[in-house]
Amino acid sequence: MRMLSTLLFASIAGSAMAATPEDVVNAALARLAPQVKVDVAQESVVPGFYEAIVGNQLVYVSKDGRHVFDGTARDASTDRDMTEAVYARKRRAALADVGADKRIVFAPARPRHTVTVFTDIDCQFCRRMHDQIDAYNELGIAVEYVFLPLDIHPGADRKSEAVWCAEDRKLAFTQAMAGADPGKAACENPVAETKRVARSIGIDGTPTTLAADGTKIAPQIALAPAQLLAELDRLAKNPLDSR
Amino acid sequence: MKRLFTLFALAMFAAVPYAHAAEKGEAVVKAAVQKLVPSAKIDMVEKSPIEGYYQVIIGSQLVYVSADGRYVLQGTLYDTQDKVDLTAARMSREHVAKLDAYPESQRIIFAPASKAKYRITVFTDIDCGYCRKMHAHMAEYNERGIQVDYLFFPRSGPGTPSFDKAVSVWCAKDRRAAMTAAKAGKNPDPLTCENPITQEYQLGIAVGVEGTPAVYAEDGSRIGGYLTPDQLQAHLDRIAAARKSGS
Repeated sequence: MRMLSTLLFASIAGSAMAATPEDVVNAALARLAPQVKVDVAQESVVPGFYEAIVGNQLVYVSKDGRHVFDGTARDASTDRDMTEAVYARKRRAALADVGADKRIVFAPARPRHTVTVFTDIDCQFCRRMHDQIDAYNELGIAVEYVFLPLDIHPGADRKSEAVWCAEDRKLAFTQAMAGADPGKAACENPVAETKRVARSIGIDGTPTTLAADGTKIAPQIALAPAQLLAELDRLAKNPLDSR
Repeated sequence: MKRLFTLFALAMFAAVPYAHAAEKGEAVVKAAVQKLVPSAKIDMVEKSPIEGYYQVIIGSQLVYVSADGRYVLQGTLYDTQDKVDLTAARMSREHVAKLDAYPESQRIIFAPASKAKYRITVFTDIDCGYCRKMHAHMAEYNERGIQVDYLFFPRSGPGTPSFDKAVSVWCAKDRRAAMTAAKAGKNPDPLTCENPITQEYQLGIAVGVEGTPAVYAEDGSRIGGYLTPDQLQAHLDRIAAARKSGS
């Protein structure tokens, strides 16, 4: 939302007296940043505000339309980050579009938790994570990989497709993550689609780990299996829909 | 700050104290924040521009808290009508008081030959590339009537070579010459004496310096970052114009 500050001095649009969240939000943001397109305008759990989603960003607009707040709202009585909860819901909805047939799944027999990991074969931390796949599974965590080969890694696209098209996908993935070049193979594959989904929810780095409820897990936690388990337990006790 | 909240929020009040009357709001908000972050030194609690919210200043941070103490908003508040960053504007007023209180005798001042039109305060680090680049424009800043008051902010902190260089410059017989030589890459002759470097470093933290150079206008607003003479003048002209029109 840095754009708000750069656009702060942009020209004034006429102010409008309005009733619906859409009208208030559109008028307020038009005054501040005329070229932004508001994707969603709705009531907010934060008293006195509507919330607006602009691109992948959430901002709050006061109900009188005078003020825009760009930041984080926390409910101190429950220690819940209400802003992150909005993003998590959006990610959860996007993940629902990526079925099991578009993922490479490493799961224990009876998983306690499932995470979605956006991964790139040529990313060192992604490799480090997969190196510990047995540990995650032993702790009851199913890891479901979706491909997000980054443009900064030329050839990662090709490797993702080759792994996807291999006869034994999981084996090919594990070998590639250990540094073996999977070569080249073409077949119908979900790589373009998973890249698009990642972009639609603002995910542009790897590995990015999402809990089943869409909560983004900090990389340092995700990379340590025991810490990840603790975090997933904590999230499970604190369901998104009560946030 | 965010981390502080996360750390201490679990220790939060089981029962949220609700305001019974509007005038109790400040006390409720203060108690709520203090409970949330017991170690916080609250500098100010006052009504915020948003209906139903107070603003709380804690050091160089500003948070907005609902009158019942329950909702804590941390970020930037914009006024869509006047097109200003209200959070920065409020903090500028805090900063200006702190900066103005800092004695002239402890600054290293590069002033124009004739009367200065503008004065800026620049937190600087001898070993920072953009600080050096900025210093290379000094004659031009001065020619445009801009006085530059330097305070030291050795980013690496006390007990580091950058900090020692700042002390050496301060202790030199001709501080300005020593500063200019050091900014040109010459290691200053190691000197020690009574000096304000620690005080300046702490002042920097108190006004929210995160990197160097950190440039503050006379109204306490942080306008840079490295700025070319043209950019700097444009900023200062705009601030002066806004002040004249009373906004």
